[in-house]
Amino acid sequence: MHIPDGYLGPATSGVMYAAMLPIWGLAARMVKETLNRRQVPLLAIAAAFSFLIMMFNVPIPGGTTGHAVGAVLAAILIGPWAACIAVSVALIVQALLFGDGGITAIGANCFNMAFIEVFAGYYIYKVISGSSAITSARRVIAAGIAGYAALNLAALTTAIMFGLQPLLQKTASGESLYCPYGLGVAIPAMLGEHLLIFGWVEAIVTALVVKYLQKQDARLLETLKEVRA
Amino acid sequence: MSKRRFIRSSILAVCSFIRESVLSDAYAAKKGLLQARDARFKLLIIFTLLLAVLFSKNIIFILSIYGLCLLFALASSINIAFFLKRTWIFMPLFSLFIALPALFDIFSPGQPLVSFRIFGLSLIITRQGLMSAIFFFVRVLTSVSLCVLLALTTRHYVLLKALRIFRVPQVFVMTLGMCYRYIYLFIEVVQNTYLAIRSRVEFVSSLKHGQGIVAGNIASLWQRSYVLQNQVYSAMLSRGYMAEPKTMDEFHMSIKDWIFLAMAILILVLVYGKNII
Repeated sequence: MHIPDGYLGPATSGVMYAAMLPIWGLAARMVKETLNRRQVPLLAIAAAFSFLIMMFNVPIPGGTTGHAVGAVLAAILIGPWAACIAVSVALIVQALLFGDGGITAIGANCFNMAFIEVFAGYYIYKVISGSSAITSARRVIAAGIAGYAALNLAALTTAIMFGLQPLLQKTASGESLYCPYGLGVAIPAMLGEHLLIFGWVEAIVTALVVKYLQKQDARLLETLKEVRA
Repeated sequence: MSKRRFIRSSILAVCSFIRESVLSDAYAAKKGLLQARDARFKLLIIFTLLLAVLFSKNIIFILSIYGLCLLFALASSINIAFFLKRTWIFMPLFSLFIALPALFDIFSPGQPLVSFRIFGLSLIITRQGLMSAIFFFVRVLTSVSLCVLLALTTRHYVLLKALRIFRVPQVFVMTLGMCYRYIYLFIEVVQNTYLAIRSRVEFVSSLKHGQGIVAGNIASLWQRSYVLQNQVYSAMLSRGYMAEPKTMDEFHMSIKDWIFLAMAILILVLVYGKNII
């Protein structure tokens, strides 16, 4: 899911940075308004948490492992605007310090994982869980469905970005300059692996963590109320 | 295959992260060409060169920038074998693997170069496919090399502070700085937890059991993190935090920084303006 440098042309990278700038600006404003002073470290803690979720290897069928992105989980725990900043920060740290995801692709990666995945996941969770009790099983199911659907939506937008490259950037003799596969290849390839494997990893992790917190410390699932108080 | 494999691979991922960080810090502390540059300028120089590589439609130019990366690595006291291993393994090799199907006329129709048959299937490598795959691979390799140079020759917390030159809102800069410190604190928690699980859990009975262990760990990490925020806020207050974050400036620019930046900008202008290189 992390797009490295060189996969997207300058037009796509530039548009994605331009798209993320107002989102980051609005997120910074919303967080300043909703987060009380005591919870300032919460953002940094959530960003570090988002970074580390990707290090937890989850066993999947076939004896291998995969990892979750954790963006939906972050949105459920601290709200979509704060999660947008936290996941963006985690992605920037990964790109700048550890070379995971490109620097010119930070805008695109943040758009997919810190905006699309976070907001889609959060609102799917909200709609499905409705006004159910914080400890209800419905919330566990909602978290799982939100994790699965939002990750696949993010995979779809990533695939569209890849698939647009041969259409947008080609030499006169027909050579692709960036990702060489069109929409017809990029979308099935990206969605295939996310629908079959990684979406389930995301769903399982999101649902099980919500279930665990319901049993151990349900007030952590109501952080948003506390934040706004 | 052991059903505890995910525990082992998580411990290995944590160890690899710590090893990489220690090595990066050791290189950043050395004396060398890039280490001597002001972090703000270095960030701008690398970003400008990344843009030049991104805009370029000339493979020789991109290869020249890759050659420049190797020279920078040598001049910055980076072990070249380590640099090659760090830059080739994973992303460029993964990209090479991804680019391979693009060689063939199924994905890149055009002028045939080589044709052969495998298991009765006729395959044709086209000129357009070959060039697309080479462009893709070389561009990714060069970009990754530039990013690794930046990360290896700059102390990480200084690099995050340098983001201020892009007018990044203060809330982001402060969050980045604090996040970086928390990562190391949490990584220790994760490592200790997994080592404890490994020493206590002899056999993971099912996938569900394994997934439960992982989810429990993630949830427990969040619980601990949440408790920590109150302590951190009290620590911030005791050090004079007044709700408006302030960051100390530790940057020192020199005339050489300006020269390097001017050269990088010139390269980008040539690439963008004339599209000849």
